[in-house]
Amino acid sequence: MSEFDVIVIGAGPAGSSAAIKLAQGGMNVLLVERGDPPGTKNVSGAVLWGDELSKVVPDWERSAPIERYVTRKEVAFLTEKSKIAISYSSQDLMERKSGKIIVRGKFDQWLARKAKDAGAMLVTGITIDKLVIDGGKVIGVMQDGDVITSDAVIVAEGANPRVLINSGLRPKLSDHDVALGIKETIKLPENVINERFNVDSKGGYASEFVLGFLDDGILSGGFLYTNRDTVSLGIVASLDRLRANGMTHSYDIMGKFEEHPFIKNLIKDGIPDEYAAHLVPEGGLASMPKLYGNGYLVTGDAAMFTFSNGMVLQGINYAITSGILAAETILENKGKISEETLSNYVNKLRNSYVLSDLYTFNGIQNVTWSDFTQKTMPKILDSVMMSMFDERGMPKKHLMQVLSAAVKSNGMKYTELISSGYRMMRKM
Amino acid sequence: MLNIVVMIKQVPDSSEVEIDPVKMTLNRTKARNVVNAADLNALEYALRIKDKVGANITVISMGPPMADAAIIECMARGADRGILITDRAFAGADTYPTGLTLAATIAKLGNVDIVFGGDETTDSSTGHVGPGVAEFLGIDQITYAKEVDYEDGYVIATRDLEDGDEIVKVHTPVLVTVLLNSNVPRHQSLRKKIDAIRKGVESWGINELGLKPEWVGLRGSPTIVRSMKAIKEPEHLHKTITLDKIDEVVADLVSKNIIKVGGK
Repeated sequence: MSEFDVIVIGAGPAGSSAAIKLAQGGMNVLLVERGDPPGTKNVSGAVLWGDELSKVVPDWERSAPIERYVTRKEVAFLTEKSKIAISYSSQDLMERKSGKIIVRGKFDQWLARKAKDAGAMLVTGITIDKLVIDGGKVIGVMQDGDVITSDAVIVAEGANPRVLINSGLRPKLSDHDVALGIKETIKLPENVINERFNVDSKGGYASEFVLGFLDDGILSGGFLYTNRDTVSLGIVASLDRLRANGMTHSYDIMGKFEEHPFIKNLIKDGIPDEYAAHLVPEGGLASMPKLYGNGYLVTGDAAMFTFSNGMVLQGINYAITSGILAAETILENKGKISEETLSNYVNKLRNSYVLSDLYTFNGIQNVTWSDFTQKTMPKILDSVMMSMFDERGMPKKHLMQVLSAAVKSNGMKYTELISSGYRMMRKM
Repeated sequence: MLNIVVMIKQVPDSSEVEIDPVKMTLNRTKARNVVNAADLNALEYALRIKDKVGANITVISMGPPMADAAIIECMARGADRGILITDRAFAGADTYPTGLTLAATIAKLGNVDIVFGGDETTDSSTGHVGPGVAEFLGIDQITYAKEVDYEDGYVIATRDLEDGDEIVKVHTPVLVTVLLNSNVPRHQSLRKKIDAIRKGVESWGINELGLKPEWVGLRGSPTIVRSMKAIKEPEHLHKTITLDKIDEVVADLVSKNIIKVGGK
């Protein structure tokens, strides 16, 4: 007889959602979190897209600490002196309230509290060492030499999957599996944010950037989200490229991003409040561990469930959905937990957007993390825009001629551009 | 077996407490609540004695209901029992009725051999409460302890004094206040934390302790705070000087008699 029906490792969006669902289903759940309170170990922007949480917490938006709703979304290329952006402001976006800007420190604490209220035992400030495997079956967790038993374990430990690695259930992370994220939180008065980002106090601005101005070889994206009275500014840099270019440090990238003429003004007079770094799952399907086994399921970032096509970065919604589906799988198989019964988790994931998206966009990393997207594209776009908008009293040319000249001046062939562009459009 | 009481307090994490730039008051709302750090050092010495000769360790704390989390944390590190002394009547207490209330708790527990506490808290830093409790109980006290051991009915402690260390040996019952960072507190264990949550924290109020309302809380506090003043940090003059201007700067400082250049 196990001490708990289920032990959930990690009280982030995946773990707490799973714990709520399990507790609602009458299960005896232990939810263990390394941070105290939950959310303190997290480094995330963050925008929560969608409404999956309403499946376990109806009316969740009423009590959740939501900073702002995304009403202005931008995707921008930054070169040394220019910014080329697609900026989308929409009243429909406002009405749909699809993107919620949250501060994970507050949000995770709130969600873990919901799990506790639902009946889960929440234990914070404790790091699990590994899973206990007996005769091929996971029978619980080990911490400080003690074994705590359960019929099943949900691994929701996040982007740095120590428990899975220590338990021999996934290889160590390689540079392809994760990128390095740095986030700074900068304090600005609420009204200054409203004015500077052209949003009202409910509305928010969320932007992803391609940092095309960085040194050759270095690839990094950037992001900026407006919270209520802070701004989250950060980068996500390729570890591969950082390692290959030993002279560039991640904080150099962050520094250059902050100092960029079009970013500098946005955060002017802001007071730095937090500065932190974390791993970001980026590897997609190729980096995914086995998602289930006899007695355990893997969810959220630990399962590498993140999505990024350059236009949006998502992960929290995938975490919540995978957590709920893992809980459902266990609830449906109470008393008959086995590798075979738990395999249904993968079917559920395939039928949801979680695994569908990962399959549809398989290989997107090769596009988003490419010199073409991050270096050549911004330069070509910059040349095109400059020739279009800079009036020099010369006869004007057709767009195609302008583009062709821009391509040539950046040392690329037109056919290369078409094939790279086509590949990019297909993958995105 | 020895009976040990460890007095702890839940405080806002001092590294996260900010000063409101306008009101010049402490803003504790953002800071997470933690166990006062020196209290964890005190608990660690209690646990070492328990490891050595066996002991029942009871953690007590006076505070609001949410302070039970701090007591659970101490139980997750190895304490056996937790009591939260909580009552509206205790609100607004200065160090005098706080000492009295804690002493009444220890007296009610009875047969206590050693009482431990941190030497002071990070949120008020008076250092009064430990010695106050010892006086109310009428037992010996060892303050500023940086090393604590127990042998055959005696506590042997090294006191960190301004002019050197003092090693004392005191027969139980005795109260010991422990210096911050005098040891490395052990981690919480999941097993112990689960057990602590299941066992729960006892809650004692003014009635359980047999105290009168006029003895405790604000009414029992002889201290009257007339006003508080924030001391403003003097403005520092920051100037960036490039090396080619260094001669000008030196000349300027010499002319103002701030520095002297050798030989002149």
